[in-house]
Amino acid sequence: MIHAPLSTTSVLDESTDIVSMVSAPWAAVVIATSIPYRFMQAVFIDRLLEVGGEASHYGTLLGTTANLAIASFVFALWGRAVFARACRLAAARGAPPGGEAWRVSPVAFGSYLFTGTLAELIFYATLFSGIGTILAAIVGGLAIGTMELNERASIFGAMRLIARYGRELRIITALVLVFGCAFVIGLVNVTATFGFAMWLADVFLGADLSRWSVLFGEHNRRFVLATFAGAWIAIEPFWIAANVVLVRKAGAAETGEDLRVWFEEVRQP
Amino acid sequence: MRAATQRCSNHPARPAFAVCMACAKPLCQQCATQWDGIWHCAKCLAAKRGSSQIGSHFGGWLALIFSSLLLLYVSARMMVWAGALLSGMF
Repeated sequence: MIHAPLSTTSVLDESTDIVSMVSAPWAAVVIATSIPYRFMQAVFIDRLLEVGGEASHYGTLLGTTANLAIASFVFALWGRAVFARACRLAAARGAPPGGEAWRVSPVAFGSYLFTGTLAELIFYATLFSGIGTILAAIVGGLAIGTMELNERASIFGAMRLIARYGRELRIITALVLVFGCAFVIGLVNVTATFGFAMWLADVFLGADLSRWSVLFGEHNRRFVLATFAGAWIAIEPFWIAANVVLVRKAGAAETGEDLRVWFEEVRQP
Repeated sequence: MRAATQRCSNHPARPAFAVCMACAKPLCQQCATQWDGIWHCAKCLAAKRGSSQIGSHFGGWLALIFSSLLLLYVSARMMVWAGALLSGMF
C-alpha cells in the first residue's frame, strides 16, 4: 500500500516495513547470493594490494580473479532480482509473498542483467571520481527498481525506464547519501560485533585470544576487507527495497493513488 | 498534486485511479489492472502476455544478451585496469 506522498523519508519508512515483511526468507536469498561477489571483490583488492606497484606484471592473476568476481556478480544479480520481486509483491499485497517471488520473468532478469552490468561498469570506470560512484549507485538502484516494469527484451526500453524514473533525481541522490551513511554505520556495527564476541569469549570462557585478536584486528588487511564486504551485504536488502518502493511510489504519485489511499484511511473511524 | 486532476485516457469523464507503469497513461478503476503488483492498461497487459514467449522478440533478446555479455567482459577488464592504475598510484 502507498501510505504517504513521495519523499525520501516516506521511501525509507515504507522500505523498512517491506524488508521486515519479506526478510524471511527473501533477505537470506539476496545475502547468500551477494556473499560470493562481495568476497571475490575483497579477494581482488587483497591480491591487488599484495602485488602493489607490480600489478601490471600480474595480469593473468588479476584477470582470473576479476573474471571469477564478474561471474559471481551474475549470480548476485539473480538474488537481487528475486528479492526485488518479493518486495514488489509485498508492497502490492501488504503481506509476505509466497513461492511466486522466485518466478522472475526472463524479460525482467535479462533487462536487469544489462542495466545492472552497465551500472557496475560505470562504477569501475569512474572509481577515481566521487561523482562517478554516485552516478553508478543511482543507475544501479534504478535498474533494480524498474526491473519488473520491462515488458519486452530491449536495451533502449530498459534505458528509457531508468531515464523516466531518474526524474526523481533529488530523492534518489538523497537515498544514495543516506545509504552511504548507513554503510559507515554498518561497518562500525560489523567491527563492533567481532569485538563484542571476542570480549564475551574472554570474559565468560576465559579463552586465550591473543591469536584471534591479531586475526580480527584493524592491522589485518583481510579482516578489514571482509568487514567492508559484510557491511555492504548487511545494507543491500534495504537498498534494493528502497529503490523498489521509490519506483512504485513515483508511479503512484503521478495518479493521486497515494491521496486516494490516504483519504480512505482518514474516512475510517 | 497535479495527478489528482488527471482523467482516464479511455474514459475522459472519470478521474484517474492509477497510471500504466509501461506507457504512463492515466487509467480509471475499470481500465487499470494490477498484475504482479504493477498497474497496466489493457493494451500493455496484452503486450506483456505476448512478450512472455522468448521467441516473440528474437532481435531484442539477441541484442540484450550480446550487450550484457560484452558489458560483463568489459567490466572484468575495467576492474583489472582500474585496480592496476590505483595500485600504481600508491
